[in-house]
Amino acid sequence: MKRTLAILLAALAVISLASCGAKTAEVAETAPADITVRLLTDATGVDDKSFNAAGWRGILAYYGDTWENQAKKGVNYNYVTAATQDMYIPNLKQAADEKYDLIIVTGFTWADALGEVAPLYPEQKFLIVDVDWLSAPNVMQATFSEHEGSYLVGVAAALKAKADGIQKPKFGFIGGVPGPVITKFEMGWVQGILSVIPDAQIVDYYANDWGKPDLAKAQAKNWFDSGVYAIFSAAGGTGNGTIAQAKEYRLAGKNVWAVGVDSDQFADGIYADGQSAVLTSMIKRVESSTEYALRAVKSATWKGEVVVFDTAHDGVGFSDTNPSLGADITAAVNAVRADIIAGKILVIPTYAEALAAGVVPAKLQASDK
Amino acid sequence: MEKNRKKPQASDLLAAFIASDGRMSILVVLLGLLCGTLIVLAVGRNPGNMFAALLQAMTGWDATRGVWNIRYVGEWLAVSTPLVLCGLSMAFAARAGLFNIGAEGQYIIGLTIAQFAALYLPKVPGLHAFLAIVLAGLGAAAWGGLVGWLKARWNASEVVATIMLNYVAYYLSRWATMQIPGANTYKTPSLPQSAQLDLPFLKDLTNGSTLNAGFFIAIASVLAFWWIMEKTRLGFALRATGFNRDAALASGIRANRSAVTSMAIAGAFAGLAGAVVALGSFGYGRVLGGFDNYGFNGIAVALVGNSTGLGVGLSGLLFGLLTGAQPLMQSRGIPKEITLIISGLVVVFVSLRAGLRMVLAWKRPLPATAGADGATAVADTGSEAPDA
Repeated sequence: MKRTLAILLAALAVISLASCGAKTAEVAETAPADITVRLLTDATGVDDKSFNAAGWRGILAYYGDTWENQAKKGVNYNYVTAATQDMYIPNLKQAADEKYDLIIVTGFTWADALGEVAPLYPEQKFLIVDVDWLSAPNVMQATFSEHEGSYLVGVAAALKAKADGIQKPKFGFIGGVPGPVITKFEMGWVQGILSVIPDAQIVDYYANDWGKPDLAKAQAKNWFDSGVYAIFSAAGGTGNGTIAQAKEYRLAGKNVWAVGVDSDQFADGIYADGQSAVLTSMIKRVESSTEYALRAVKSATWKGEVVVFDTAHDGVGFSDTNPSLGADITAAVNAVRADIIAGKILVIPTYAEALAAGVVPAKLQASDK
Repeated sequence: MEKNRKKPQASDLLAAFIASDGRMSILVVLLGLLCGTLIVLAVGRNPGNMFAALLQAMTGWDATRGVWNIRYVGEWLAVSTPLVLCGLSMAFAARAGLFNIGAEGQYIIGLTIAQFAALYLPKVPGLHAFLAIVLAGLGAAAWGGLVGWLKARWNASEVVATIMLNYVAYYLSRWATMQIPGANTYKTPSLPQSAQLDLPFLKDLTNGSTLNAGFFIAIASVLAFWWIMEKTRLGFALRATGFNRDAALASGIRANRSAVTSMAIAGAFAGLAGAVVALGSFGYGRVLGGFDNYGFNGIAVALVGNSTGLGVGLSGLLFGLLTGAQPLMQSRGIPKEITLIISGLVVVFVSLRAGLRMVLAWKRPLPATAGADGATAVADTGSEAPDA
């Protein structure tokens, strides 16, 4: 036992010595001239091709770096992943200890942890994306007008159906888990379609899961078989099933479409050279929010407030990558976009209000809770 | 003769490591760190940063910035707690000759029951949290014991059964937790303060870390593990079954009952881990979105800890250190994967231990030294791992 202890102590001594070596190495690093930022992510890290990746892109853009060349990483900006959810609070506190000018977290799963940590570090600035219910004055909260972006893709899909001369077109919506955020997507999509084709038939389905593409694929097959023209999926990984089915059917010569979500999913839908089954995508620019917050910190205009990234703030939009969409439809949708920015078109985000206004059909499965 | 005297000294040192499980574990940990250092060098980073992160997680001293904050020590101990408990779960079953891959599921059952108990039991300060933990332990014991019973009754493979039950537990937990009024797809309403494990004095002591009463539960569990295994007839029966089931049967030990008991106690340890995480680290009940992996990591903890109480305690602290140092490494530009590689390598080296021993025993010259060294080796094994 004594020998064991002695060995253990020797090991400790070696580690301490080695870390002293690190100190001298670090001193050489010059003080950063620009502001510094730390992005905290869940276990996936910035390679999730979704939320975290978008937040990271905004940071890269602010510092003039690109995904391929992250030159200022480690000097001005870096990120830390949390292996498990119980690491959220320690990681937030650690970042605050290390005194970054801004600490960014993405997604509502961080809301409770940030709500607890932010008041402990009143001088520290935080940004949280997709949350608007925290009250700490040192937290900037960014939300997105997903209903406006979804309205635009709804208009695009309906115009395409009209241009193709589809008789009595039907449109589908596939959601992940029902909730107020996904309801915004569905409400926008439906209102957009009905603004072009008032008697269009709408069907909707919730997979109750964010990671079950097989469910979406089966549902999409059913719907396409029954004459549905385009399906919009706001369902995370589940939505990939819709795109997969649309690819299969388009390859087989059927005129059906999938509509992408969050980022431009054109590439995911490619089934032949230059041809994609993803007609357009509703784009949610999380990167706009991180870049915006960094600029605000830099220019000392930063405030602990809720910032809504709507169409006007370039927070949401639609993609025109697919050549099948055509210049005419793109121009028409852009006109609608301008009308939304001008306030001429008002898109309703909740099911209860949309129902009351009579702009969406009854018996949809959307939930406002 | 002179030559011959020199040679055995080097191998004696190695033999000293081989002879004792405790020292062997330290050796493999050092080997793991060494390999980690080489990998960090190979990818062109400064390994000093890796050690600075480990030092900060262990002592709170930030050598990079020259500040000391004891909170990091608290976080280290806090993150070690479920690892130790899940390690005990795996170790307890292993000592009885069973392979408990189900600690993750038992952990989830404990976590879920603790959350329900926190939300629905009367809010009596002190008693509330205590009851929630006891219920979580009992529920997870039943969940683990079920596998033991399947094993005893139908000789069902405990490996397959526990793996499958992990998923059953996960989806059961999700479904049940979402039924709670006010729960959404992510979390339940807040848990009452009376059910939570944070202790003001621990928080003060560690500058506001998440360290909580769960740490004492882990210490008590390590002691309970040792006591049951070494000092009770039950422990003797379990160990005997683990060594040789047929011999145990022949000497009148009911091996079937051993399977149920050992799996139940193993489940209880994992269930406690679940309760500690649920009531210690979160102010609300979680609808799980994936495995927390404490149960699975417990397998490695038990392996490195050599399935003894104290060993698991120490190896849990080691894995907790690596986990706690992970964000500190990332902050210094060391990829987070390094800690996973180190813990992976440690497990590999531990698995190689038996093989290494065989090679050494075969290589060692039998005459002359064998007598003296053999004696110390036996004595060492006796003192280091009296329970091996």
